[in-house]
Amino acid sequence: MGSEKREPIKNPRIWIILGILLAMITPWYFPASFGEILVYGVPLWAVIIVLSSLLLSAYLSYVLKYHWMLEEDEEEAEQKGAK
Amino acid sequence: MDLAFSGWSGILILAMYGLIMLGVGVVTYLRNRHIHQSLDEYYLGGRGLGVMVLFFTFFATQYSGNTVVGYPPSAYRMGYEYLVSVPFFITIIMAYLLFAPRLYRLGKKYRLVTPAQWFEKRYKSKAVTILASLLMLYGLGNYLLEQLVAIGQGVSGLTGGTIPYQVGVVFFVIIMVIYGWLGGMRSVAYTDTMQGIALLFGVFMLLIGSIVYFGGLPTSADYMQAYSPEKLGVPDGPGVMNWFSLLVMIGIGAAVYPHAIQRIFAAKSERTLKRSFSRMAWMPFLTAGVVFIIGIIGINAYPGLTEGESEQLVGMMASAVASQNVIFYWAMVLLFGGVIAAIVSTADSVLLTFSSIISNDLYGSYINPDASEKKKLLVGKMVGLVAVGILILVAWFPPGTLYQIFVLKFELLVQIAPGLIIGLYWNRLHTKAVFAGMLVGTIIASSMTLFGLSYFGIANGLWGLLVNIGICVVGSLVMTVSVVEEKEAKQVIGM
Repeated sequence: MGSEKREPIKNPRIWIILGILLAMITPWYFPASFGEILVYGVPLWAVIIVLSSLLLSAYLSYVLKYHWMLEEDEEEAEQKGAK
Repeated sequence: MDLAFSGWSGILILAMYGLIMLGVGVVTYLRNRHIHQSLDEYYLGGRGLGVMVLFFTFFATQYSGNTVVGYPPSAYRMGYEYLVSVPFFITIIMAYLLFAPRLYRLGKKYRLVTPAQWFEKRYKSKAVTILASLLMLYGLGNYLLEQLVAIGQGVSGLTGGTIPYQVGVVFFVIIMVIYGWLGGMRSVAYTDTMQGIALLFGVFMLLIGSIVYFGGLPTSADYMQAYSPEKLGVPDGPGVMNWFSLLVMIGIGAAVYPHAIQRIFAAKSERTLKRSFSRMAWMPFLTAGVVFIIGIIGINAYPGLTEGESEQLVGMMASAVASQNVIFYWAMVLLFGGVIAAIVSTADSVLLTFSSIISNDLYGSYINPDASEKKKLLVGKMVGLVAVGILILVAWFPPGTLYQIFVLKFELLVQIAPGLIIGLYWNRLHTKAVFAGMLVGTIIASSMTLFGLSYFGIANGLWGLLVNIGICVVGSLVMTVSVVEEKEAKQVIGM
């Protein structure tokens, strides 16, 4: 992973993807018929919203893990030094 | 709410929860006797919270007893349109990405204890810091008031009125203050963990019980198809607008709550903080998602309730589930104890942050900067206690007029966001513009609330916030920031 510093706000790609995901978790793009089709008792549009929300959570976990590196290397070095 | 199964078992479980919380306080005190000399130790747990505890203490700031008792009735009335309650908890984590990485770093660098201290560091202006502190104290005070009222109602509901409202409030406030004083942030975070686990367990048992007893989502969908197909339908134009504004408002609003910000400073390391956030990103499915399903099952279980009756939905469903067998009975008693515990856990976080702003920012920076940390702590604790006393009186004797001023919280708390967040990145942000924006935003948001005005279905706090951001940005572009000031800001941010 190297020692380069990464801050999510400085990476425009992250915010473009988050923007797309934000659009996906808002129910503006469904035809009315999606309210009539049921999947195990859940309307199809709601299923898609839940799947998109899972996608958003997964992407946030990814960003948190790999695109936020400001202190971690130093903190870990400190910890090793302390031991 | 009146529960058929409540009574002595309710009293027993509440007494048990109370004792456990006190026990946590005593153990924390015995293991950390040194914490009463240092603001860092008392208010931030020595900046040493690990992943699990940090996660549950964030969890307690976002999910309260209200999530369990108040959300299913909304799902009952609105149907699938209320599914928005799942993604809006995820957008909170998205909002954290805007400022938490940098704020954690600066918090560590400057040993920040409260959000107000960041304002002092960044703007070096008494006016800005005091205004921000007062906004936070006022908002937090009202937030606390709301929790106290909820504790009283919850206790009297769970025990079927055996324990009156007032006794319930006083009992839990005393316990909360004692364990808070004994162990500071550590006590609060450890009890948050216990309370969170009880709540999660109870909610899952209620879901299982409801599915067994009333039937699952397909049964409910059959009912809706026949009698209220609009509850299954895709939201219409205004529905989508409302959905989107909730995503934005809750996302930003809950992320900048002062007690939530303070938890960023309390993290043991960047890694710990990241992992806690990452878990938080998945929690909406297990909490908001589960209570949403319970509300939808309720549509079929108790059809045709009026708005007032539907508010009792969770109590009705839990009573029915509890009457099935002894395991469900105790699970439901545990659930309602957990609901009250969750309200207490939100209240204790709010009270601790309230005291910290008094200790560190108002008393510690301006009134008596030379005081020892021990004295600053004592003043914070005492003022916190007085504030709780006043709030209990307000909760007991609600004033007939002017009650609206006790409702303002989000409207005020969110006004600190521009100064807090934009100030992290923009060196040229002008101190006077921040002050003017915060003041005007507050006046707009609170007068709209007090006079009951509303435009385009957008929340009052958001209108205030938009004007606030406008003033900050335009004001900073118009007024010149001296080269020295800009350099100073650059140095403070240091990135």
